[in-house]
Amino acid sequence: MAAILNIFKNFPRYLWSGWGAIASIFLFIALWELGYQAYGELVLPAPKDTFLRLVNMLLHEGIWKEMQITIQRALWGFVISVTIGSSLGLLAGLFVTTSMMSRPLVTIFMGMPPIAWIVLAMIWFGMGDTAVIFTVVVASFPIVFIGALQGTRTLENNLKEMAESFHAPLLMKIKDIYFPHIFSYIFPSWIAALGMSWKIVVMAELLSSYDGIGAELAVTRSQLDTEGALALVLMLVISLLFIEYFLMEPIKREVEQWRD
Amino acid sequence: MTTSNSALLNKIKPFLTNSFRLIFLLLPIYIILSITLWGLVWSGYLPLFIQNQLVWHIYEMMFGVASAGIIGFIFTFVSEAYNDIVIISKKQIFYIVMLWLIGRIAFWMIDTLGVYVVALTNLPLLIWIVFLIAKPLIVDPLRNHISLGLILISIVIIQGWFFASLAGWVATDAMSILKVALGSFMVLELLALRRIATGTINEWLDSNNVDDTFVARPPRYNIAILCIILFTLFEFLFPYNPILGWLGFAVCAAILNTLNDFFIDEKIIIFKPYVLPIFLVLLSMAIGYGLMGFDYLYDGFNGINHFRHFLTTGVFGLSFFTVMVIISTIHTGRKLRTNKWINLAILLIVIATLLRSLMPFFPLSFMAENASFIYLSSSVIWATAFIIYLMIFSSVLSEN
Repeated sequence: MAAILNIFKNFPRYLWSGWGAIASIFLFIALWELGYQAYGELVLPAPKDTFLRLVNMLLHEGIWKEMQITIQRALWGFVISVTIGSSLGLLAGLFVTTSMMSRPLVTIFMGMPPIAWIVLAMIWFGMGDTAVIFTVVVASFPIVFIGALQGTRTLENNLKEMAESFHAPLLMKIKDIYFPHIFSYIFPSWIAALGMSWKIVVMAELLSSYDGIGAELAVTRSQLDTEGALALVLMLVISLLFIEYFLMEPIKREVEQWRD
Repeated sequence: MTTSNSALLNKIKPFLTNSFRLIFLLLPIYIILSITLWGLVWSGYLPLFIQNQLVWHIYEMMFGVASAGIIGFIFTFVSEAYNDIVIISKKQIFYIVMLWLIGRIAFWMIDTLGVYVVALTNLPLLIWIVFLIAKPLIVDPLRNHISLGLILISIVIIQGWFFASLAGWVATDAMSILKVALGSFMVLELLALRRIATGTINEWLDSNNVDDTFVARPPRYNIAILCIILFTLFEFLFPYNPILGWLGFAVCAAILNTLNDFFIDEKIIIFKPYVLPIFLVLLSMAIGYGLMGFDYLYDGFNGINHFRHFLTTGVFGLSFFTVMVIISTIHTGRKLRTNKWINLAILLIVIATLLRSLMPFFPLSFMAENASFIYLSSSVIWATAFIIYLMIFSSVLSEN
């Protein structure tokens, strides 16, 4: 409870610290504007027009429904990969044998291109939700698995021994020794998996779905609507930034305070 | 030296004890006179004998006023930064201030004296200042303050470029050069403010037994400086290009990022004496660039020149006033504290800035009837802050 209160208390200050990042983003948009002026709107539409198109899409073009479908798929895929990846990774990390056995499998999963998974998913599940969510899971799962595995494998024996010599209760050991250490490995992997989910979901939708932002992107591609395509990409990026920086990062900061 | 010169030197001897005393006595007087006159001219109450009035106003408000501020600040700062070394003699202080004064008179008479004479009286001042501070900045093995010297050199070059334009040597429009100059002055403001803020706020923390340190983090200021340089370059090379909109927003965000330094643990220090005006300088700069960015993107607003006053009326006004007060207090052996008059003066500068800069947001019908009054009142309110400075500090500056 205290941690949650702390997150809220530090939130305004955390929010203000984002101005540096916002400055970089505006510099990037200025570069985008330069690209537009150099190559014309078919290649790169003006940022201002793209933002206005985005607003128009949100207000008038009923894009919310597609957005909702995409976010739902991405989140489902993310939650499943986090649940399975974290549990299996933690378990595998507990035993040297399992961690040795799982490594080559994870390498195979990591090495397999998501586009290949999409093709397989389309054959196995057909067009729709399941194919998209499956692709998101198989693409994100290895990232979380490795994070969890590393977290458990690198637990410091000295600390464990110290806790045992002081006869620290199990709950205290979990809360003060195991959890902070494992979390510092597993949480960044969750954030990476979230980013991966957001990217994969659009690609999967583009190829294997009739709805969602990815499918809308396919429409804009067929109509050579670069402005619409960029507006959709912006929408996804903004939603990802929102989830990562407004939700995940404050939690990470609070939980990783022990590092300071 | 003639006898009359020696007599004058003896009379103003107390003012030459430090490099800032004489100039900080003359600067507010000059600000009061020139801005009130400009208010009367721009609002149509008074004609002015100068042909290109707008160029005169901008040049004098920047080079005229800022070079005096530079005299007051730079010698004090460089001397203090390098173990109180003496970098300027009393005679040099006197001559440098006289040169500044001659430069001002000359620019007022530009139509009579001609560009070359005015250039000859104006250009040597900053060159001399750079020459005087160059040695300590260069011999410092860490080159901690070399950026101050470099930006001053760029300002000297821009000033030369401006006169070359007036003389017809270069085809560049004088007004565009003045915009480049404003960008350079903003960089100088940031470089100076970072140093002033660190010294002043830590002094306040120490004297109030607060066990914390204020650090104005250079990377944050460097990002802001980079953004200002890009904005200034693009404004010169591609005037009215929408790219300036995004760059304006980038500058705004980068300057707001520097305000992160003002979070010291869990304490809110921005309302503390002398912290607030420094905070307001940065805020004014951020708002100014942000609104200019907005204007460059939003067609048909035409408020850029009004919004630019956040940088001049706001940033210049607040920073000059604050620096004058801080230096006049600390370097005359006094403890840094504020009073209701100083707070009132800061409030007046803020009001004048808002009045002058936010004019595009006032209703058209209101502006049609009251524009002249707002121009004038903004100038008078701004000048009043410096009258208050004179009331409080003229006796302090003349003390032995």
